[in-house]
Amino acid sequence: MQVLDINIKSKIYNSGKNSLKVLENICLEIREGEFVCIAGPSGCGKTTFLNIIAGLDFDYSGEVLYKGVPITGCSQERIMIFQELGLFPWLNVQSNVEFGLRTKGVPRGERERIALKYLEMVNLVKFKDYFIHNLSGGMKQRVALARALAMEPQVLLMDEPFAALDAQTRDMLHLELQKIWIAAKKTIIFVTHNVREAVCLGDRVLVFSSVPAHVKASFKIELMRPRQIENEGLIEKVRPILTELSFEIGKVNV
Amino acid sequence: MFKKILLRAAKQAIFYLVLLFLWYFLFALKIWPAYIFPAPLMVWKALIQGFRTHIFINAILISLFRVSIGFGISILFGAVLGILMKRSKIIDETFGRFVMGMQTLPSISWFPLAILWFGLSEMTIIFIAVMGSLFSITMSVYSGLKHIPSIYIQIARNMGSRRLKMLWLVLIPAAAPSLIVGLKQGWSFAWRSLIAGELLFVSLGLGYLLMMGRELNDISQIIAVLFIIILISIAVDRIVFGIMESRMKKRWGFE
Repeated sequence: MQVLDINIKSKIYNSGKNSLKVLENICLEIREGEFVCIAGPSGCGKTTFLNIIAGLDFDYSGEVLYKGVPITGCSQERIMIFQELGLFPWLNVQSNVEFGLRTKGVPRGERERIALKYLEMVNLVKFKDYFIHNLSGGMKQRVALARALAMEPQVLLMDEPFAALDAQTRDMLHLELQKIWIAAKKTIIFVTHNVREAVCLGDRVLVFSSVPAHVKASFKIELMRPRQIENEGLIEKVRPILTELSFEIGKVNV
Repeated sequence: MFKKILLRAAKQAIFYLVLLFLWYFLFALKIWPAYIFPAPLMVWKALIQGFRTHIFINAILISLFRVSIGFGISILFGAVLGILMKRSKIIDETFGRFVMGMQTLPSISWFPLAILWFGLSEMTIIFIAVMGSLFSITMSVYSGLKHIPSIYIQIARNMGSRRLKMLWLVLIPAAAPSLIVGLKQGWSFAWRSLIAGELLFVSLGLGYLLMMGRELNDISQIIAVLFIIILISIAVDRIVFGIMESRMKKRWGFE
């Protein structure tokens, strides 16, 4: 079943006299439970694309349908994990995870139960009373993941969430994310500029072109899960995607 | 850590002891008569006397009551004005500039106007305390809201926060570092303005006790009341705002 039916004709940023077209003719269908990775040169409008799906940005021409209904605003069924994470420094770990449930109006006991469930999933129960500044980068990442999962969304939108992490932490989170995805069967759209990461995680990898971005190529990845970045079959899949991408990056640099 | 605090306390204690000694020393030189420059002991006696006759306690309660009302009004209106300025560009560009100008006006200069409007009444004194603190609170609410990283707001919106929940769960806590500074400053402005206002007519507060000391030529009482004014100012600053601030700093990981 289709969860998202995306048909963006164009998205233009205006700043004073200059206007920049960032997205152009993006037509996509995303199935329920699919793990889609989007790779593209930096600054190609991947974040803008996610913002549109999240319902944070509707200043574009075209139409995006969520379960057949046009998106007109945010929904608690489509939760975004931002690159900067944006964990709330005034709340401890558990309260951060409970945040969305508070806006939903879930009663306290229930909130706590759900928060602990997801903190357990990301192995952070021991740190539930910590404040954000006391956590390492990988832990912060996991809190952001738990906070998003606690909303029990249908669609998880992830914007280069692991970009700032060291390789080991990232590998570990790749495994955890796949496990969570297999267990909870969410639809995930994952943006990255790292092709290996995209191949490691996605059922499908879409390569975005440089600005104005459109879907340049699409690759199906049919490998056993959970995958790890150093898996043998993976390298093979990476090469053609990398070729497509480096062509686009070359265009930016010229 | 503990040793450091102890050492600092010791330094401060020595400083005040030296100060007290110097004071006594100057008194003992008898350069000025005692009714112009009293001895520490005379001030101490005036303090005891003032508290024993309940004059000081009453004045403290009256002044604290007034400052609470004035400060409360400032917080209420300051919050509303600050939010309006943040929400509307035109209010920011017009009223916002106006507020910045008003902030430069010493609050006591409202006194003649206030007397004409409200007469020699409670209202006049409270009005002056409000004028002393309102604009600094308005500005801190405004700049606190303005400097909230937009990521917090986007996340909250994405998770379904709107209006009151957004304000209560995100905007206020996210602006807390600036709000606490503003409240602290607002409090000290309100307190100063209040004392200045109380000086000016029979008002029964601490400021009035200062004037009474002058009229009775009782320099010991004046100095005793000055101590009380300083102590209250510091106590509220350290205890009320100090606790808020250290809690906030611990959470955010400042320092």
